[in-house]
Amino acid sequence: MSIDVTGISKRYGDFVALEDINLTLPTGQLTALLGPSGGGKTTLLRIIAGLETPDSGSVVIEGTDATRLPVQKRNVGFVFQHYAAFKHMSVARNVAFGLEIRKTPRADIKRRVDELLALVHLSQFADRLPAQLSGGQRQRMALARALAVQPTVLLLDEPFGALDAKVRKELRDWLRRLHDEMHVTTVFVTHDQEEALEVSDEIVVVNDGRVEQVGSPDQLYDAPASDFVMRFLGDVTTLGGHAIRPHDIDVQVTPQVAGAAEGTVARVLRVGFEVRLTVHTLDGEEVLVQLTRTHARSLRLEEGATVWLSPAEGATVMPRAAALSGSS
Amino acid sequence: MTYVLRVVVVAYLFLLVAWPVSLVVTHTFAHGDEAIRAILEDPDMQSALRLTAIAAVVATVINTVFGVGVSLLLVRNEFPGKRVVSALLDLPLSVSPIVVGLALVLVYGGRNGWLGPSLESAGFQVIFSTPGIIMATAFVSLPLVIREVVPVLHELGTEQEQAAASLGASGAQTFWRITLPSIKWAVVYGVVLTLARSLGEFGAVKVVSGNVLGSTRTATLAVEEKYLNFDQEGAYAIAFLLASVSVLAILVVFVLRSREARHH
Repeated sequence: MSIDVTGISKRYGDFVALEDINLTLPTGQLTALLGPSGGGKTTLLRIIAGLETPDSGSVVIEGTDATRLPVQKRNVGFVFQHYAAFKHMSVARNVAFGLEIRKTPRADIKRRVDELLALVHLSQFADRLPAQLSGGQRQRMALARALAVQPTVLLLDEPFGALDAKVRKELRDWLRRLHDEMHVTTVFVTHDQEEALEVSDEIVVVNDGRVEQVGSPDQLYDAPASDFVMRFLGDVTTLGGHAIRPHDIDVQVTPQVAGAAEGTVARVLRVGFEVRLTVHTLDGEEVLVQLTRTHARSLRLEEGATVWLSPAEGATVMPRAAALSGSS
Repeated sequence: MTYVLRVVVVAYLFLLVAWPVSLVVTHTFAHGDEAIRAILEDPDMQSALRLTAIAAVVATVINTVFGVGVSLLLVRNEFPGKRVVSALLDLPLSVSPIVVGLALVLVYGGRNGWLGPSLESAGFQVIFSTPGIIMATAFVSLPLVIREVVPVLHELGTEQEQAAASLGASGAQTFWRITLPSIKWAVVYGVVLTLARSLGEFGAVKVVSGNVLGSTRTATLAVEEKYLNFDQEGAYAIAFLLASVSVLAILVVFVLRSREARHH
């Protein structure tokens, strides 16, 4: 039981939005569809929801072939980036909407709406209009509205994309906790790798209408299948002809490791707790290195200093040549 | 600079609108409410006012239903010839009402029209009868609801409707519960404009009505008739009645809108 996507393709005129997507999203998990904008992840989510029709392929939700089912019959909860709040209805009426459509008895609706508003911490705003809420509150209302109909799957399209950084982080934690309580199969679209790494059980990296890699956040970060995945999940620099993460580089002020690359510190940039170095090696490479403020201080690093760079133990390193052929 | 501009605007509105309209009022009540009472007690005038009311209300209902439907079609769908349709919808505003009347006679005229003779033999008279008056009225006020609703629909977008669908609402449920309440004020404003325009229609109605006293003479035609017959007081009295309905309608919208604004 799960969401099974088989052979899904979608074109808009000449533009190929999705090409032969095959994917299984297990029940009860929180899955992120991660990728750059225009990569096809939102189209995929909307096809699963039934808001968009694929040119070919099938969508099976919990064992039921949903490919030909209209969105009304799929029993999915959908949360939009810009909330899609019903502006003329109070918060409580918004949440009650799906239940009213299903002709639920009035007393049951009231009980369920009260429960959900408590769950999303909006009980005291029940009678307000959406316009009187902040963005984060509106999105929590939209989430309660989607959950009210007890959907088989919950689909969120860039749910925190329109919120400021601090609220986004709060809601992200809160979504994770909510999911741990409710265990409803959840798929959310994001272009923010940090959000995907932090919240999800599984990440599907979508780029250029195709699936680049599927795996747990750790698998993706530690063993990216392609140069694209490596670059998309975090910063990447080059050391000795290999792609490597800037925080996976050891810095020494004396030559200690055989094969370490000697270079000169060209620039030191301090950002909060971290220090970013730009090092020009004797081989002519420009290498970016990240270290903590304390580590940088203990090494007395400053511009013009001579340093030796080597990959740290357990670093994710990808040969450039292989990386290039893998990314195409 | 703003001061000068303000004076210019006020003077312009006064000379063009406020002064002439207020003179209609003073002329009407030059001899107390005698003129108004005379109009209201004249059975022919009663029938003219009734005919105008019927034509205006029916035309407004038709144009509201049609207007909302066409607006949804234009905003929510892509189809070949959409721009042509959109341009055609402005035609009634740009074409002289007299031309509209003549055009209707060409199609529905009882003797020489394209469709008229067959309709007439089926017992349905259009020209020189109430249906023709309603059609002419509907024609000239056709785009008013559409022009109010289309921009609001554009701004509304489709996300709320998609959200409703994902929550299980059918197309009809989405329309009544989400779309219509969202465009409510545009529709109300369009209805009022349509009603006001329909009440005042003259040219197109004059051509198609035949202007038969007591049967196909509308209020605006009666104004002309009275004016030409040197019954100025009577003409002003009917004009006053027509104008006050329009002013009332716009006042109602103004009050409703400001209440709505305060409510939020």
